[in-house]
Amino acid sequence: MGIVFTRLFSSLFGNREARILVLGLDNAGKTTILYRMQMGEVVSTIPTIGFNVETVQYNNIKFQVWDLGGQTSIRPYWRCYFPNTQAIIYVVDSSDTDRLVIAKDEFHAILEEEELKGAVVLLFANKQDLPGALDDASVTEALELHKIKSRQWAIFKTSAIKGEGIFEGLDWLSNTLKSGGG
Amino acid sequence: MFSLFYGLWKYAFSKAEFHVLILGIDKAGKTTLLEKLKAFFSNLEGLPPDRIVPTVGLNIGRLEVSNTKLVFWDLGGQPGLRSIWEKYYEEAHAVMYVIDAACPSRFEDSKSALEKVLRHEDLKGAPLLVLANKQDLSNAVSAEELSRYLDLKKLDERVYMFEGVSAYDGIGIKESITWLVEVMERSKRTEVLRMRTSYAGSAS
Repeated sequence: MGIVFTRLFSSLFGNREARILVLGLDNAGKTTILYRMQMGEVVSTIPTIGFNVETVQYNNIKFQVWDLGGQTSIRPYWRCYFPNTQAIIYVVDSSDTDRLVIAKDEFHAILEEEELKGAVVLLFANKQDLPGALDDASVTEALELHKIKSRQWAIFKTSAIKGEGIFEGLDWLSNTLKSGGG
Repeated sequence: MFSLFYGLWKYAFSKAEFHVLILGIDKAGKTTLLEKLKAFFSNLEGLPPDRIVPTVGLNIGRLEVSNTKLVFWDLGGQPGLRSIWEKYYEEAHAVMYVIDAACPSRFEDSKSALEKVLRHEDLKGAPLLVLANKQDLSNAVSAEELSRYLDLKKLDERVYMFEGVSAYDGIGIKESITWLVEVMERSKRTEVLRMRTSYAGSAS
């Protein structure tokens, strides 16, 4: 995966600073996915403002991860992480059907952010290895992805634990960003 | 009061933007077509056909053709993903329906999916362009043959055209788009959509 990743993303942004946000509710599998990409050490930081951001720097691309949901008081600070964001990778626990509504609301709220208007969206319907996990079509429905009309999106079934589906998604992402994005 | 005049002003002078849906079953060549359109009508290169993977979501192309702004929505065509198509109907000005003309074994699937599209109330009056794609292949049937095979009923009130194209090498694409832009500009549906948008605009 590491080598594949290098091939996909090494020349993508030239020398431009770029950011890819990896978001989702807690326990969706975001950090496992980041580890699967094997780009380097995941650095965990807990800023004093009170939310935990994990960062992986790959050449000029920063991958940053944090949990959505929960405390509303810290949300304004998220905006510090929005500028220059080319893509959002949204990770959903497809087996956690109880919280899909929350996942949906958080997802659409983040897409409303002015500074993220140009970002393309890659969705991972994760935890496909678990019994009762919804497939890509059902997650599409539950997250109301059809409401996205002005940016490109794609959804992939993944199992971060088994390492399945992640490469296909990143391949889409790299193609989409190359061909001009949103 | 101001918003009323602003609404009228916008209604009269805004540059029209047309939404075109690119539909069709999987492997028809929708995304290849979109990338070809980008190569023809924008300064983007467009992905080469060998880099294109099956769409599981939405691809967008924003282009300008003869001074008209077009937004193309290319939706995935795998059976499980077709349920999402109808969510885009209401705002679409026209439909491009892509068929792999070199794959007769899937004509029936294409036909029934298209009939379902045309039956939908939200697409009433939307111009239809059916593309008999993959004309670069020697076994591709012509647009006329395909139209005979599909034998679509209830097309009488709908403006439509069948055209043979190749998204791979670009045959027929420019002509098709020129036709589409012309009919959209004249279509009653465009008028209806425009009134709805400007009404929503002045109300908010």
